[in-house]
Amino acid sequence: MQERTTLPEVGPAGPPPGATPNKHQVLSRRNILATLGVTAAGGALSMVNYRDEAQAAVTSRTATAITEAKTAKHAWCMVIDLRTCDGCKLCTLSCQKRHDLREEQTWINVYDMPDSSGGTFPMPRPCMMCENPPCMYICPVGANIRTDEGLVLVDTDACVGSRACMAACPYEARYFNWSEPPAPKRLPMASTPQMPVAKKGTVGKCVFCADRLPHGELPACVSGCAMGVLYIGDLVTDIAVNGLGTSVVLSEFLHENDAVRLKEELGTNPRVYYIAGHGQDLGVGE
Amino acid sequence: MNHVAREASLRPFGKPSRLWWVTVIALALVVGAGIAAWVIQLKGGMGVAGYNDHAFWAIYIADVITFIGVSYGGAVVSAILRLTGATWRAPLTRLAEGTAVVTVLIGTALIVPHIGNPIRLYELVTRPNLSAPVFWDFVAVMTYTFASIVFFALPLVPDMAVLHKGHQSGLGKRRTTLYAKASRGWSGAPKQRAVLAGALGLVSIMIIPLAVSVHSVLAWAFASTGRPWWHESIWAPQFVVAALYSGVALVILVLAGFRRGYHLESLIHPRHFVRLGFILATFAATYLYLTFADLLPGSYVGEPGPAAVFTDLMVGRLALWFWMFAIVGGLIPLLLVALPWTRNVTGMVIAATLVLPMMWLKRILLVVGPATYDTVTGTFGTYHFTWVPIAITLAAAAAVPLLLMLLFRVVPLLSIDEMEEIDAMQEIDEMAKTLAAHPHSESGGSSEPVDDGGELVGTTTGTSHKVAGATGVLLLVALIGMLGIGTAHPARAATSAPSITVTGVEGGGKVQLTATLTGANGQPQADAPVAFFFTTTQFGTPARPVPLGSVTTDKAGVAKLILGGDADHKYRPTKIGPQEFGASFTPTSADAKPITSTTTINITVARSAYTPAPPKPLAGLGNGLVIALFSIVAAIWLTLIAQIWRVRRVRLAVQEPATSTA
Repeated sequence: MQERTTLPEVGPAGPPPGATPNKHQVLSRRNILATLGVTAAGGALSMVNYRDEAQAAVTSRTATAITEAKTAKHAWCMVIDLRTCDGCKLCTLSCQKRHDLREEQTWINVYDMPDSSGGTFPMPRPCMMCENPPCMYICPVGANIRTDEGLVLVDTDACVGSRACMAACPYEARYFNWSEPPAPKRLPMASTPQMPVAKKGTVGKCVFCADRLPHGELPACVSGCAMGVLYIGDLVTDIAVNGLGTSVVLSEFLHENDAVRLKEELGTNPRVYYIAGHGQDLGVGE
Repeated sequence: MNHVAREASLRPFGKPSRLWWVTVIALALVVGAGIAAWVIQLKGGMGVAGYNDHAFWAIYIADVITFIGVSYGGAVVSAILRLTGATWRAPLTRLAEGTAVVTVLIGTALIVPHIGNPIRLYELVTRPNLSAPVFWDFVAVMTYTFASIVFFALPLVPDMAVLHKGHQSGLGKRRTTLYAKASRGWSGAPKQRAVLAGALGLVSIMIIPLAVSVHSVLAWAFASTGRPWWHESIWAPQFVVAALYSGVALVILVLAGFRRGYHLESLIHPRHFVRLGFILATFAATYLYLTFADLLPGSYVGEPGPAAVFTDLMVGRLALWFWMFAIVGGLIPLLLVALPWTRNVTGMVIAATLVLPMMWLKRILLVVGPATYDTVTGTFGTYHFTWVPIAITLAAAAAVPLLLMLLFRVVPLLSIDEMEEIDAMQEIDEMAKTLAAHPHSESGGSSEPVDDGGELVGTTTGTSHKVAGATGVLLLVALIGMLGIGTAHPARAATSAPSITVTGVEGGGKVQLTATLTGANGQPQADAPVAFFFTTTQFGTPARPVPLGSVTTDKAGVAKLILGGDADHKYRPTKIGPQEFGASFTPTSADAKPITSTTTINITVARSAYTPAPPKPLAGLGNGLVIALFSIVAAIWLTLIAQIWRVRRVRLAVQEPATSTA
């Protein structure tokens, strides 16, 4: 897949100079405003790590220092092994149940994709968590944020409802609350980008269950998949696991199975990998 | 002519006729219905307007483009005619500029129903994302609105002075006060005229690129997404021409309406309409050409996205509407201007009446087509109008004549001073060719500075103690169970079972794992597959084994695995600190259980397996662009404010010594 030969070694001396994520070179509200003297970066970080902070006293995991956060501790990704997907949509249902979504709001959607033999194959599509996310660049109020761990999240407390992100997303992964959303069935809790509570007039999308990941829990779709199709992985620690308890060395798994990413040519650098199966021909067609 | 213009400008100030009242009330009712529809949409959400996840942009953004677009016509027609010294412009400029101001305000207001969460629109100021086209839309529209108000207001000063001095009886009390204030000190002295002419010349020049910027950025809000047909380089110039085209059409209609309503036939002649018709025809031809150029390459290549969208447009669902636009909105207006026997006021008005709704239709097509195209599956969603957006759109359309009728109850309908001056100039011209043209005047405009602020967004944390408590009890039960299993297990260990031990050592950036397998007979077991693994608790406890591959034991019953080195796509330690490794062996006999052994190695050399994606190409240029754009915008605002200040100063400085007020 990707070359991994040039990374500096992480020694005990401290964070390597080259490990700063590339997002600091791109045009985001966060870094421009920071140069204008606004401490927006601190604000965004405190949102991102809110649950860590709440747990900091217990686990002594204080990951909120900016310098530390720059050397990404995790790089979450997903691997979708289409060889075993039977299109049952349990992933969609688990997700919708967890996030109180309407039926048409398919944060992970299972598409019936045409294959070259005239049939179709099921293809689950979560948010691709792009490393160059078009949705983030285009949001007029910077309501899309990308965490240091590579999760692209929506701050529904800031979303102005312009839907520019829906236009920009090449994977159609975004859903709008066109009417008043149903009241959440779970216990009331504050809306965060990691676990958003739907609001009328704002956008929503897959969050990789960002509130679960720091606690070693699997996203709802991954644990809900009875076929072990979906793997949640970490590109830093090089591990991926699925809901059936299978664990793999991520880089080896991707390499050996010739994993591909959707619409590679767009330069979005998605963090979702597909392992072809069921005879589909990714890359041909759309 | 002087007195005709003055008298004509006073006509709207008289007691309104019954027709005026009927028209205003009817238009106000339509506007009111639109506002009511918007309130309903606010309550019910945008779903009541027919929007859905596939038609995420539809009628409202098309309305925004249409109304801000027609504004361009008024402003640019007036500016270009002013700059080129076309003297026939004089009776048209005030109406054209007024139309520009009114329509840009309506177009901007239409952003409100387009937005899902309009209460947060202030965030465009408090927390803008500088890489977003929509933010720059906002900046461009605000700047253009300010400039068009200045452009409208500056020439009012001499007119107000003329009317205030000579025609107070026809003005009424409130207008007299307003005109006195706005034109105080204006004597028409040569220096005042020179300054006003200079200011107007400058604003005329500025308003053209400003209008270009507005429609370009509107186009880029679409073109900077990756959607087929939106993602086209031709879109910005095409939007600009579309705006000019529909804008000229609206100027023709406004002129015709006021000409008939206030009987201005002696001032606005058929030749005005015909000349505007020529401009209209130029833009019609240009727009048709650009439309062809827009659609040809994508249709020719046949790439799935554009091919699907263009098929849908030209021979599919939207074909009827598209060809209706091309013929009714493009060819027929062109013909109406081209054919001599329709090249008259009626012909031009019919052409303009066709152009406006057809250009709106074209905007609907170019928004809805690509929006409903699903870029993953290549299928189309649907959009159906409901009465809500139709009511809001009609309200916006009704607001144009309504606001214009009200506006020209307050300000003079015609640029009296300009007309008188051009008359005078033409007389002088005939005598001897000497002077260049001077328009005049001054006024006050208000500026609202845009402040860039940042706002920290805080989020509160919420945890549920009840959940924690229940989970704790469950965990306790589970722990007791696990302890029971764990203590029972070693009792099975006996000399008859095979055993495995694993040791590991780190050195030179590599980790070597060595597993020794002892068979049931107590001897080393050769040719047996030993599966190495490491454990992780990253995805929950108990620790999960992650397989590293299996190695066959040698004659000494030893299997070795080396991690690290230069091999690609193989695991190497990624974290510093203690890490647990292990090896396991599954005996071949049917009922045998796998045996495992683990060891913990203190890793000192690790590296992240993650290679960040390369930065977006040209991102650095983008940063520079932002700084350049902010500088330009600041310069524009300062220049515009300076023009107001300049005219105001010369107005007050050159006045005759009579009046003195604080």
